[in-house]
Amino acid sequence: MKHSKNILEFRFERTIPAPPGEVFDGWLNPKIPGNPWNAAEKLILDPQVDGLFYWTLKGTSHYGRFTEVERPGRIQHTWMSPNTLGQESIVTLTFKKQGEETLMTLVHSGLPDHELARGHENGWNYFLNIFHEQFGDGPRRKYRWEDAHSPVKK
Amino acid sequence: MDRLTDVLTALSHPTRRAIIGQLANGPARFLDVAKPFDIALNAVTKHLKLLERAGLIERRKKGREVYISFRGEPLREVVGWVHEYERFWNERLDEFEQFFKNKKERRKSNEAL
Repeated sequence: MKHSKNILEFRFERTIPAPPGEVFDGWLNPKIPGNPWNAAEKLILDPQVDGLFYWTLKGTSHYGRFTEVERPGRIQHTWMSPNTLGQESIVTLTFKKQGEETLMTLVHSGLPDHELARGHENGWNYFLNIFHEQFGDGPRRKYRWEDAHSPVKK
Repeated sequence: MDRLTDVLTALSHPTRRAIIGQLANGPARFLDVAKPFDIALNAVTKHLKLLERAGLIERRKKGREVYISFRGEPLREVVGWVHEYERFWNERLDEFEQFFKNKKERRKSNEAL
Protein backbone atom coordinates (compact mmCIF):
# COMPACT_ATOMS: atom_id res chain seq x y z
CA MET A 1 0.00 0.00 0.00
CA LYS A 2 1.30 3.47 -0.89
CA HIS A 3 0.06 6.39 1.14
CA SER A 4 0.61 10.04 0.24
CA LYS A 5 -1.43 13.14 1.12
CA ASN A 6 -4.41 10.99 2.14
CA ILE A 7 -4.51 9.32 -1.28
CA LEU A 8 -4.04 5.56 -1.27
CA GLU A 9 -2.82 3.11 -3.84
CA PHE A 10 -3.21 -0.65 -3.55
CA ARG A 11 -1.33 -3.16 -5.66
CA PHE A 12 -2.18 -6.84 -6.00
CA GLU A 13 -0.52 -9.64 -7.95
CA ARG A 14 -1.72 -13.11 -8.84
CA THR A 15 -0.28 -15.83 -11.05
CA ILE A 16 -3.10 -17.30 -13.09
CA PRO A 17 -2.62 -20.74 -14.71
CA ALA A 18 -3.82 -19.72 -18.19
CA PRO A 19 -2.44 -17.63 -21.10
CA PRO A 20 -2.90 -13.81 -20.98
CA GLY A 21 -5.65 -13.74 -23.64
CA GLU A 22 -7.79 -16.20 -21.69
CA VAL A 23 -7.23 -14.33 -18.41
CA PHE A 24 -7.95 -10.96 -20.08
CA ASP A 25 -11.22 -12.32 -21.52
CA GLY A 26 -12.10 -13.90 -18.17
CA TRP A 27 -11.72 -10.59 -16.37
CA LEU A 28 -14.22 -8.93 -18.68
CA ASN A 29 -16.72 -11.81 -18.72
CA PRO A 30 -19.40 -11.35 -16.01
CA LYS A 31 -19.97 -15.13 -15.98
CA ILE A 32 -16.48 -15.80 -14.60
CA PRO A 33 -16.27 -15.84 -10.78
CA GLY A 34 -13.91 -13.37 -9.14
CA ASN A 35 -14.09 -10.38 -11.45
CA PRO A 36 -16.01 -7.41 -10.03
CA TRP A 37 -18.85 -7.76 -12.54
CA ASN A 38 -19.66 -11.33 -11.54
CA ALA A 39 -21.04 -10.40 -8.12
CA ALA A 40 -23.28 -7.60 -9.42
CA GLU A 41 -27.02 -7.63 -8.89
CA LYS A 42 -27.49 -5.12 -11.69
CA LEU A 43 -24.80 -4.71 -14.34
CA ILE A 44 -24.19 -2.55 -17.38
CA LEU A 45 -20.78 -3.23 -18.95
CA ASP A 46 -19.30 -1.88 -22.15
CA PRO A 47 -15.58 -2.79 -22.06
CA GLN A 48 -14.18 -0.60 -24.83
CA VAL A 49 -12.35 2.74 -24.66
CA ASP A 50 -14.87 5.34 -23.41
CA GLY A 51 -17.35 2.55 -22.70
CA LEU A 52 -19.07 2.81 -19.32
CA PHE A 53 -19.91 0.39 -16.55
CA TYR A 54 -22.42 0.43 -13.74
CA TRP A 55 -22.90 -2.27 -11.15
CA THR A 56 -24.68 -2.47 -7.89
CA LEU A 57 -24.57 -4.80 -4.94
CA LYS A 58 -26.76 -4.53 -1.83
CA GLY A 59 -27.57 -0.92 -2.59
CA THR A 60 -23.98 0.18 -3.26
CA SER A 61 -23.49 1.50 -6.80
CA HIS A 62 -20.21 1.64 -8.71
CA TYR A 63 -19.60 3.59 -11.90
CA GLY A 64 -16.66 3.90 -14.26
CA ARG A 65 -15.34 4.56 -17.73
CA PHE A 66 -12.85 2.38 -19.62
CA THR A 67 -9.80 4.39 -20.63
CA GLU A 68 -7.57 1.59 -21.99
CA VAL A 69 -8.59 -1.80 -23.36
CA GLU A 70 -5.63 -3.48 -25.05
CA ARG A 71 -6.10 -7.23 -25.40
CA PRO A 72 -4.32 -9.22 -24.01
CA GLY A 73 -2.04 -6.98 -21.96
CA ARG A 74 -3.84 -4.09 -20.31
CA ILE A 75 -7.14 -2.73 -19.03
CA GLN A 76 -7.67 0.60 -17.30
CA HIS A 77 -10.87 2.18 -16.08
CA THR A 78 -12.04 4.76 -13.62
CA TRP A 79 -13.91 3.64 -10.53
CA MET A 80 -16.38 5.64 -8.47
CA SER A 81 -18.33 4.45 -5.46
CA PRO A 82 -19.44 5.87 -2.09
CA ASN A 83 -15.96 4.94 -0.84
CA THR A 84 -14.25 7.24 -3.36
CA LEU A 85 -16.25 10.26 -2.10
CA GLY A 86 -17.24 11.29 -5.60
CA GLN A 87 -13.65 11.23 -6.84
CA GLU A 88 -12.57 9.13 -9.81
CA SER A 89 -10.13 6.47 -8.68
CA ILE A 90 -8.23 4.44 -11.27
CA VAL A 91 -8.04 0.65 -11.67
CA THR A 92 -5.24 -0.63 -13.91
CA LEU A 93 -4.80 -4.29 -14.81
CA THR A 94 -1.85 -5.79 -16.65
CA PHE A 95 -1.48 -9.35 -17.90
CA LYS A 96 2.06 -10.58 -18.58
CA LYS A 97 2.96 -13.98 -20.01
CA GLN A 98 5.05 -16.09 -17.66
CA GLY A 99 5.73 -19.41 -19.35
CA GLU A 100 2.33 -21.06 -19.62
CA GLU A 101 0.85 -18.78 -16.95
CA THR A 102 -0.03 -15.11 -16.60
CA LEU A 103 1.24 -12.63 -14.05
CA MET A 104 -1.81 -10.47 -13.38
CA THR A 105 -1.35 -7.14 -11.62
CA LEU A 106 -4.16 -4.94 -10.36
CA VAL A 107 -3.41 -1.42 -9.12
CA HIS A 108 -6.21 0.62 -7.57
CA SER A 109 -4.94 4.20 -7.24
CA GLY A 110 -6.30 7.60 -6.30
CA LEU A 111 -8.38 6.29 -3.40
CA PRO A 112 -9.13 8.85 -0.71
CA ASP A 113 -8.24 7.64 2.77
CA HIS A 114 -11.17 8.20 5.09
CA GLU A 115 -13.11 6.58 7.88
CA LEU A 116 -15.90 5.33 5.62
CA ALA A 117 -13.53 2.96 3.90
CA ARG A 118 -11.62 1.96 6.99
CA GLY A 119 -13.43 -0.07 9.56
CA HIS A 120 -16.74 1.38 8.49
CA GLU A 121 -19.74 0.67 10.64
CA ASN A 122 -21.22 -2.18 8.61
CA GLY A 123 -17.91 -3.98 8.38
CA TRP A 124 -17.34 -3.55 12.07
CA ASN A 125 -20.77 -4.83 13.04
CA TYR A 126 -20.45 -7.68 10.60
CA PHE A 127 -17.16 -8.57 12.17
CA LEU A 128 -18.62 -8.55 15.65
CA ASN A 129 -21.57 -10.65 14.56
CA ILE A 130 -19.37 -13.41 13.24
CA PHE A 131 -16.76 -12.94 15.93
CA HIS A 132 -17.47 -16.30 17.42
CA GLU A 133 -17.11 -18.11 14.15
CA GLN A 134 -13.90 -16.30 13.25
CA PHE A 135 -12.05 -16.52 16.51
CA GLY A 136 -13.83 -19.19 18.48
CA ASP A 137 -13.07 -22.85 18.05
CA GLY A 138 -16.08 -23.46 15.82
CA PRO A 139 -16.14 -23.43 12.02
CA ARG A 140 -14.83 -20.24 10.43
CA ARG A 141 -16.68 -18.17 7.92
CA LYS A 142 -14.91 -16.41 5.10
CA TYR A 143 -15.16 -12.63 4.81
CA ARG A 144 -17.83 -11.81 2.25
CA TRP A 145 -18.19 -8.38 0.73
CA GLU A 146 -21.94 -8.93 0.37
CA ASP A 147 -22.40 -9.64 4.08
CA ALA A 148 -20.22 -6.75 5.19
CA HIS A 149 -22.29 -4.40 3.06
CA SER A 150 -25.73 -5.63 3.97
CA PRO A 151 -27.82 -3.36 6.19
CA VAL A 152 -26.93 -3.57 9.85
CA LYS A 153 -29.44 -5.48 11.94
CA LYS A 154 -30.07 -3.70 15.21
CA MET B 1 5.73 -3.29 20.19
CA ASP B 2 2.74 -1.23 19.10
CA ARG B 3 -0.82 -2.06 20.02
CA LEU B 4 -1.77 -3.51 16.62
CA THR B 5 1.20 -5.91 16.76
CA ASP B 6 0.18 -6.97 20.27
CA VAL B 7 -3.36 -7.65 19.09
CA LEU B 8 -2.26 -9.60 16.00
CA THR B 9 0.22 -11.60 18.10
CA ALA B 10 -2.50 -12.37 20.62
CA LEU B 11 -4.82 -13.58 17.84
CA SER B 12 -2.15 -15.66 16.13
CA HIS B 13 -2.50 -18.69 18.44
CA PRO B 14 -5.50 -21.09 18.20
CA THR B 15 -5.66 -21.55 21.98
CA ARG B 16 -5.85 -17.80 22.54
CA ARG B 17 -8.54 -17.48 19.88
CA ALA B 18 -10.47 -20.27 21.59
CA ILE B 19 -10.11 -18.46 24.94
CA ILE B 20 -11.48 -15.29 23.37
CA GLY B 21 -14.33 -17.27 21.81
CA GLN B 22 -15.13 -18.69 25.25
CA LEU B 23 -14.96 -15.29 26.99
CA ALA B 24 -17.16 -13.70 24.30
CA ASN B 25 -20.00 -15.62 26.01
CA GLY B 26 -19.35 -13.79 29.24
CA PRO B 27 -16.79 -13.37 32.04
CA ALA B 28 -15.30 -16.50 33.59
CA ARG B 29 -12.97 -17.45 36.43
CA PHE B 30 -9.43 -18.60 35.66
CA LEU B 31 -10.11 -22.30 36.28
CA ASP B 32 -13.23 -22.17 34.12
CA VAL B 33 -11.21 -20.59 31.32
CA ALA B 34 -8.51 -23.27 31.66
CA LYS B 35 -10.93 -26.21 31.93
CA PRO B 36 -11.55 -26.98 28.21
CA PHE B 37 -7.82 -27.04 27.41
CA ASP B 38 -5.59 -30.00 27.83
CA ILE B 39 -2.57 -27.89 28.72
CA ALA B 40 -0.77 -26.93 31.94
CA LEU B 41 -2.26 -24.12 33.99
CA ASN B 42 0.90 -22.04 33.68
CA ALA B 43 0.58 -22.30 29.86
CA VAL B 44 -2.95 -20.89 30.16
CA THR B 45 -1.55 -18.11 32.38
CA LYS B 46 0.96 -17.22 29.65
CA HIS B 47 -1.76 -17.10 27.02
CA LEU B 48 -3.88 -14.86 29.26
CA LYS B 49 -0.94 -12.51 29.82
CA LEU B 50 -0.54 -12.04 26.07
CA LEU B 51 -4.27 -11.40 25.69
CA GLU B 52 -4.15 -8.94 28.56
CA ARG B 53 -1.17 -7.11 27.07
CA ALA B 54 -3.16 -6.70 23.85
CA GLY B 55 -6.07 -5.29 25.85
CA LEU B 56 -8.35 -8.11 24.70
CA ILE B 57 -9.18 -9.27 28.22
CA GLU B 58 -9.36 -7.70 31.64
CA ARG B 59 -9.51 -9.08 35.15
CA ARG B 60 -12.03 -7.84 37.70
CA LYS B 61 -12.36 -8.82 41.30
CA LYS B 62 -15.86 -9.72 42.49
CA GLY B 63 -15.74 -10.59 46.14
CA ARG B 64 -13.13 -13.28 46.53
CA GLU B 65 -13.22 -14.32 42.87
CA VAL B 66 -11.33 -12.81 39.96
CA TYR B 67 -13.34 -12.79 36.74
CA ILE B 68 -11.74 -12.52 33.32
CA SER B 69 -13.75 -10.78 30.65
CA PHE B 70 -13.36 -10.09 26.95
CA ARG B 71 -12.81 -6.56 25.58
CA GLY B 72 -13.64 -6.10 21.89
CA GLU B 73 -12.35 -2.56 21.43
CA PRO B 74 -8.77 -3.50 20.27
CA LEU B 75 -10.32 -5.47 17.41
CA ARG B 76 -11.60 -2.22 15.95
CA GLU B 77 -8.00 -1.34 15.24
CA VAL B 78 -7.48 -4.59 13.35
CA VAL B 79 -10.59 -4.02 11.26
CA GLY B 80 -9.65 -0.39 10.59
CA TRP B 81 -6.17 -1.41 9.57
CA VAL B 82 -7.41 -3.13 6.44
CA HIS B 83 -8.92 -0.86 3.83
CA GLU B 84 -12.23 -1.90 2.34
CA TYR B 85 -10.77 -2.16 -1.16
CA GLU B 86 -7.82 -4.20 0.08
CA ARG B 87 -10.29 -6.82 1.27
CA PHE B 88 -12.54 -6.48 -1.75
CA TRP B 89 -9.83 -6.97 -4.40
CA ASN B 90 -8.09 -9.77 -2.49
CA GLU B 91 -11.39 -11.59 -2.21
CA ARG B 92 -12.21 -11.12 -5.90
CA LEU B 93 -8.72 -12.03 -7.13
CA ASP B 94 -8.55 -15.15 -4.95
CA GLU B 95 -11.83 -16.31 -6.45
CA PHE B 96 -10.67 -15.46 -9.99
CA GLU B 97 -7.40 -17.36 -9.50
CA GLN B 98 -9.26 -20.34 -8.04
CA PHE B 99 -11.58 -20.47 -11.07
CA PHE B 100 -8.60 -20.87 -13.42
CA LYS B 101 -6.92 -23.40 -11.11
CA ASN B 102 -10.09 -25.51 -11.08
CA LYS B 103 -10.36 -25.17 -14.85
CA LYS B 104 -6.79 -26.41 -15.26
CA GLU B 105 -7.45 -29.35 -12.92
CA ARG B 106 -10.55 -30.29 -14.86
CA ARG B 107 -8.60 -30.14 -18.12
CA LYS B 108 -5.89 -32.40 -16.67
CA SER B 109 -8.46 -34.90 -15.43
CA ASN B 110 -10.15 -35.01 -18.83
CA GLU B 111 -6.81 -35.57 -20.54
CA ALA B 112 -6.02 -38.43 -18.16
CA LEU B 113 -9.25 -40.24 -19.04
